[in-house]
Amino acid sequence: MTRRWIGAVLALLLGGAVVAALVLGNREGSELTVVRGVIGSEKKPFFDDPQVKAAFEKHGLRVEVDTAGSREIAGSVDLAKYAFAFPSSVPAAEKIKKDRGATVTFSPFYSPMSVATFEPIVATLTQAGVVTGETLDVRKYLDLVAQGTRWDALPGSTYRARKRVLLTTTDVRTSNSAAMYLAMTSYVANGDDVVKSADQTAKAAEAVAPLFLDQGYSESTTEAPFEDYLAVGMGKTPMVVIYEAQYAARLFAADGAIRPEMRLLYPSPTVLSKHTLVPFDEPATRVGRLLTEDPEFAALAARYGFRTANPQVFADLAKNTPLTTNLVNVVEPPTYDHLEQLISLIEERYLKP
Amino acid sequence: MTRLARLLLVFALLATGACSGEEDTLKILAGSEVKDLEPLLKESGLNVELTYTGTLDGAEQVASGGAGQYDAIWFSSNRYLSLIDGARERLSTQTKIMVSPVVLGLNPAKATELGWDTTPPSWSDIAAAASAGKFTFGMTNPASSNSGFSALVGVAAALSDADEALSAEQIDAVTPKLKGFFSAQRLTSGSSGWLADAYARTPGVDGLINYESVLRGMKLTLIYPTDGVVSADYPLTLLAASPRKTAYDELAAWLRTPDVQRKIMDTTFRRPIVPGLGSAEPLLELPFPNKRSAADELIGAYLNDVRVPARARFVLDTSGSMEGDRIAALRAALVTLTGADTSASGTFSRFRNRETVTMIPFNSAPRPPRVFTLPERDPEQALGEIRSFAENLQAEGGTAIFDALRTAYQEPVEAGHYTSIVLMTDGENTDGSGAEEFGAFYRALPEGQRTVPTFVVLFGDSDVAEMTRIAELTGGAVFDARSGSLAAAFKEIRGYQ
Repeated sequence: MTRRWIGAVLALLLGGAVVAALVLGNREGSELTVVRGVIGSEKKPFFDDPQVKAAFEKHGLRVEVDTAGSREIAGSVDLAKYAFAFPSSVPAAEKIKKDRGATVTFSPFYSPMSVATFEPIVATLTQAGVVTGETLDVRKYLDLVAQGTRWDALPGSTYRARKRVLLTTTDVRTSNSAAMYLAMTSYVANGDDVVKSADQTAKAAEAVAPLFLDQGYSESTTEAPFEDYLAVGMGKTPMVVIYEAQYAARLFAADGAIRPEMRLLYPSPTVLSKHTLVPFDEPATRVGRLLTEDPEFAALAARYGFRTANPQVFADLAKNTPLTTNLVNVVEPPTYDHLEQLISLIEERYLKP
Repeated sequence: MTRLARLLLVFALLATGACSGEEDTLKILAGSEVKDLEPLLKESGLNVELTYTGTLDGAEQVASGGAGQYDAIWFSSNRYLSLIDGARERLSTQTKIMVSPVVLGLNPAKATELGWDTTPPSWSDIAAAASAGKFTFGMTNPASSNSGFSALVGVAAALSDADEALSAEQIDAVTPKLKGFFSAQRLTSGSSGWLADAYARTPGVDGLINYESVLRGMKLTLIYPTDGVVSADYPLTLLAASPRKTAYDELAAWLRTPDVQRKIMDTTFRRPIVPGLGSAEPLLELPFPNKRSAADELIGAYLNDVRVPARARFVLDTSGSMEGDRIAALRAALVTLTGADTSASGTFSRFRNRETVTMIPFNSAPRPPRVFTLPERDPEQALGEIRSFAENLQAEGGTAIFDALRTAYQEPVEAGHYTSIVLMTDGENTDGSGAEEFGAFYRALPEGQRTVPTFVVLFGDSDVAEMTRIAELTGGAVFDARSGSLAAAFKEIRGYQ
């Protein structure tokens, strides 16, 4: 009898305490406001970083992210599930801002488009006159591609592949880095000018479409081909269009991923990918503001290779690396509509049997 | 906090942990190629449940939105899937886990004889040797398995000497060369695993085209063609509709820790995706098509024009117990293979141009075999004949399984053609000779006939033990249509013919 009584009291106590513990335990979690966003894949390592998470927690925020291509974010992703969108370009952000009636946008960091490649490729392209120092001349590259040049046909090439000389990009139909590459190549194809009319986009699309279609299958996010570059190497990805930040992050991390024979080239002209956050509610606006204004986030972002409002942060890290702080030939991407038109014209060619 | 409170907190955490564990089971639709990672996955401490399906079936399921009960997919490649209209929108984050190129493995003596152990050949060299009958090989069916599809894409790209991704015209142009190459193919299969088993059992086959990881587990000399390969990269892919993103992230991150990557290297012979770990010789990668029409055309060309035509024999139970739904299911399953199913997997599993199909219906005794030979082009009339044959099947009489199977084995075998038997029955043997007599008969057959495998289909009240013994005896396999559809089982078997 007594034992049963003790048992009952204990059970009650236990039950109450469990409830209390659950409540107490949850309160800690509930102090954080969860903010869900959809971002370009290249920013995922930044958001996954425990230090970045901790920095957000200090401000009572927990940021959860899904990744998608910037064009998908601006077009097909259901944004109603998210508090913010964080595509990798201004044109995509402007479109989202207009569609969703957002009032502000934040561009906390940016990164120039660049080319990750290998020493033997640089040597061959230097001999071919396409590369000078760390600069890849887009005009001369386009000429080389127009002739259908194969790697093993280039004088002095030690890269004995029958494959065409082509930069690997992501799928231009879904991914921003390819769209930024389209922006720079269409600029050159349009006689060194940003495309501004239907007529110009039609002509430029005609000229640059083979840069994408002739590659064959391409991946939908920028992390994938860069990962192939790092892990599988020159055989699969002799040269790949990336955000400078992807390469810089690996250099700064000094994790051995960037091997001695790897090289970074800057196309001339190049385009800046301005990562732009579009908030749909108040907590997301706080996320945008923190990323833009809080020096702690700027320092963390720089570690991930991004350039921020304060150029000194990046410059300090870039010292004694092949990264340049002196970008000379930077051009603007076309407006969202013209860029979209270019992509649609190339997309049509994918649909032809 | 008092000790009791702390203890209680532990209880509470355990309780919530247990609950969320149940909710957080990550359901993955996977290709059989990743089955060998199951033991490793157990070490992760995460709740993961894998369900296996064929690459193409899986791709169709995902693209059509029919994979809603799953959180993620894990096939050897997402490339074909990504070419299907509307499929990309269904995929969320993709994380590559490991890499394995599709290459040629030859028995060491043959590799030495051809000189390929010291001087690696190009695909053209390999094709020339194949056309000249200098070696034979086995490969999975490109319509059912990614290793076969990757090999076909690689060989076609290399032989066409295309300077860009394959187009329809290039596929037409390269077809004669592909014919030469694949004239040396002696074994086919719907899955990489069964192919390795069949190779071990079949005399006169010199090697296999398969994943490097599979071949390294066998006693073969690996040949890396100098002009490149197509590799699988095993992307673990979150489905856009899944709410279990956290569990997915945890699993993906765990699989990419250096320790796990090393285990994958050591236990499965795959190459790591995390940079700085592997020391494998880098390989040239051949371009992959970027249009579904090109991919489908290539598979179609392989099945209809390129491959050595198959000899398929169907031993079909039309006994009295098949009356009603069962005979209707059999008729429908056969009609499916005549082109009635217009899905990708249906199209690729139909009876092929140049194929010879022999139908041996039976009840109390085998009925006379009916032979249908499909022409090189315009197979509609022959398909129509098979269709009307199927629609006229009637159920009556007893069940003489072994006498019927014997009839199938007595048909002569043409050298160089891949012959296989499908045995479908819904019950036990009631007439004619028995299992033991059949065993003796089978063992006395000449080698050519004895290498013909029998793929058995369990249906209705099949005698599972007896049917399994037939598959084992003849080096076939068992397909279960007792709970699923007979048509689906027939479609799957087509990958093995």
